[in-house]
Amino acid sequence: MRHVLFRLEKDRYALPLSAIREVVVAPESFTRVPRSPKAMKGVMNLRGRVVPVVDLRELLEVGPGPVGGPGRVVLLDRGRRELGLLISEVDGIESLEKIGPPAPRASLAVKGLARLGAIPVTVLDPDALDATVARAFTTK
Amino acid sequence: MAGPSWDTSRYLTLFGGEATEHLEALGKDVVALERGATVALVDSMFRHAHSVKGMASSMAFEGTAKLAHLLEDLLGTLRADVARADAAVADVILQTVDALGLHVKAAVASEPLPDHGALVTKLSELNAALAGKPPPVAPSAPTPTPVSQPEPARPVAAPGPSADASAPPRFSLKLKINPASNQPGVRGFLAYKRLSTLGNVFDLKPPLDDVKAGRVPQGTITLELESDQTEEAITRTMRTVADVELESISLLVKAAPPPPPSSESDPNRVVGQEPARTIRVRTEVMDQFLDQAGELLLATSRVRELTRSVPQAQRPALDEAVNRLHLLVKGLHDKVMEARMTPIAVITDRLPRAARDIARRRNREVELIITGEDIELDRAIVDELADPVLHLLRNAIDHGLETPEERKAGNKPPRGKVTIAVRRQRDRVVFELSDDGRGVDVERVKALVVERGLLTADHLQTLTERETLMLLCLPGFSTARDITDISGRGVGLDAVRRAVDQVGGTLEIETTPGRGTTFRLSLPLTVAVVNLLLVGVGDEVYGLPIGKVGGVVETARERLSMSQNAPVLQFGQSVLPVHELSALLEVPPDVQPPALVPFVVVDGDDGRLALAVDRLLGQREVVLKGLSKPLDLVAGLAGVTILGNGQPVFILDVARLVTA
Repeated sequence: MRHVLFRLEKDRYALPLSAIREVVVAPESFTRVPRSPKAMKGVMNLRGRVVPVVDLRELLEVGPGPVGGPGRVVLLDRGRRELGLLISEVDGIESLEKIGPPAPRASLAVKGLARLGAIPVTVLDPDALDATVARAFTTK
Repeated sequence: MAGPSWDTSRYLTLFGGEATEHLEALGKDVVALERGATVALVDSMFRHAHSVKGMASSMAFEGTAKLAHLLEDLLGTLRADVARADAAVADVILQTVDALGLHVKAAVASEPLPDHGALVTKLSELNAALAGKPPPVAPSAPTPTPVSQPEPARPVAAPGPSADASAPPRFSLKLKINPASNQPGVRGFLAYKRLSTLGNVFDLKPPLDDVKAGRVPQGTITLELESDQTEEAITRTMRTVADVELESISLLVKAAPPPPPSSESDPNRVVGQEPARTIRVRTEVMDQFLDQAGELLLATSRVRELTRSVPQAQRPALDEAVNRLHLLVKGLHDKVMEARMTPIAVITDRLPRAARDIARRRNREVELIITGEDIELDRAIVDELADPVLHLLRNAIDHGLETPEERKAGNKPPRGKVTIAVRRQRDRVVFELSDDGRGVDVERVKALVVERGLLTADHLQTLTERETLMLLCLPGFSTARDITDISGRGVGLDAVRRAVDQVGGTLEIETTPGRGTTFRLSLPLTVAVVNLLLVGVGDEVYGLPIGKVGGVVETARERLSMSQNAPVLQFGQSVLPVHELSALLEVPPDVQPPALVPFVVVDGDDGRLALAVDRLLGQREVVLKGLSKPLDLVAGLAGVTILGNGQPVFILDVARLVTA
């Protein structure tokens, strides 16, 4: 299955291509969402639509660290709405077939681990990502 | 396209909508029937049952069609002697209407149709019993008083079934709209609607779209009506339409009857035969129209903002182009809003039936009077109000009205009265629901509030009578002595208030002990455009709906008084609790707070309160957008909008901000 490969700093991640609407350059600033969990970066204006964006690093709890440069926003297609994920950089599209079990204690949003040559890639599950965001709001 | 294989599933939604409308109208008629049966009323019911039957059989829902057919039979029998329509008969009719409703629901959900064998038997028996006494009438459609007229030879050689001798007579009508009416369009449209319940309208001049838009030269409308009603009945019906006068009515000599229900490829379709030039549009499509038009409006403001950086020399032409674009887009937006307007009758039509049911279960007698149901509101508001209005009605009958015995003892007529009056007031619609019952016992409300620990006795002292009554809307508050099936289901007045708030309305309660209670809802005509006060907190900007803002006081924090260790603001005669907006929203405030802090006074759930902000940024009219997941999980946000500079800004729901 074809996946979009991207990075959070040095770590490599992937999401199914079919789950992604587009990738845009992150805006200079986000409008903060009141009373929201830490992972909620804010909302952005995407051609007249207000799109919520989460900081993927915070959501997956992979430890703090700057998102170098302006970063990119991956827009997940959630039917009539979108969910933005703030990441460092997109690497490209690759076919990932063999997806093994996730690392122990990985976030629920992680589907499993794949390999691209010698490089490990964490494959994320779009539905679980969405659910993790909702849970972050309700358990805040 | 015809044939056994035709796919009916596409038409399911349409069927559901139309059948439900007919059934609701039927239910309403049954209630009227109990007040006094007339032939016209039974005819109206017959027509609704007939329509449902026709729709059901074309969708191949045999069970539904059969039930509707039996109902039609019963009504046909009843027509011969309407005096026999007693409460027992009305009950059976209502049961059938309910059963049909269940059928339609199941059909739309593609579930198996429920079985109503017992009801089928009951209907047949009742029909036989009713028809048994006098010589049974012909089991055909209700034959109108026959108007014998020579059938003129048809000039056009139109093959097909012989002239339809049973076609109802045609009348020529001339209507005049009162020139003083401020809504000639609505009046004209209502007249048209009333007439079309009596039969088929032809040759409407001016065409319906023009009538609706109020384009009626000299206020005169002419039309032809094919109806089995008498001239008197039509005249009587027209008298119920305010501001429209029936100038003349005459029976037409039967002209060439319309061609038989045409096969599709009939080239001679009579032009000008427009039953109603309207189309049904799925509500989601209308929502999308509004979204798009709203976004166009925002995009235009963005373009205008960008032109400011263009060199002066090129500005005039550019400005003109942008102004023109803005006008066009605004026009489009207005049209979309107009298309979304729905008469409030959509929700009030089902209330007579509901009132009857509630009153029966609670041993009350009630007369429900509804006025102004033709007033139109944005569909979103009408939808949002359906449940709250029903709840207010339940409340009025269940808690407001006394039992007939109690009323007699109090020198009141045994039958209680509930009045619903809807009227336009400038750019708002006022919806009032009043009962003439026992009124609210304010002292009891106060006692309960203290007893339940919702407020302290001290706090109560500071409230005005109006504010005290609003305590009824506190979550979890109920003065009902017992939990009843009808009113005690947890959705209390707080839910009503929430819904009213949600659409940008306000709720007021007035009561006179022993005389009754009035709930007054003041509603905006549309939800999409809201007027905001923009405030700054730290780096962020928020919008407060102007309707909720009572005023602004600028003062230094040190000058606030303290009450029970919390700061309070003196505002006119009252003392208001102060909240820091930055703390409520969990956003950092300005590092260097201003010397003079703006305190915005807003209406909360239990009275007014003051919000401390860093800056006032002025008023703005904006297009409100709803919140999608996960933003809808945040308590205290009412929506979001995009300012001209492209910045998204949240609109706050003040009441929920402090309670949740």
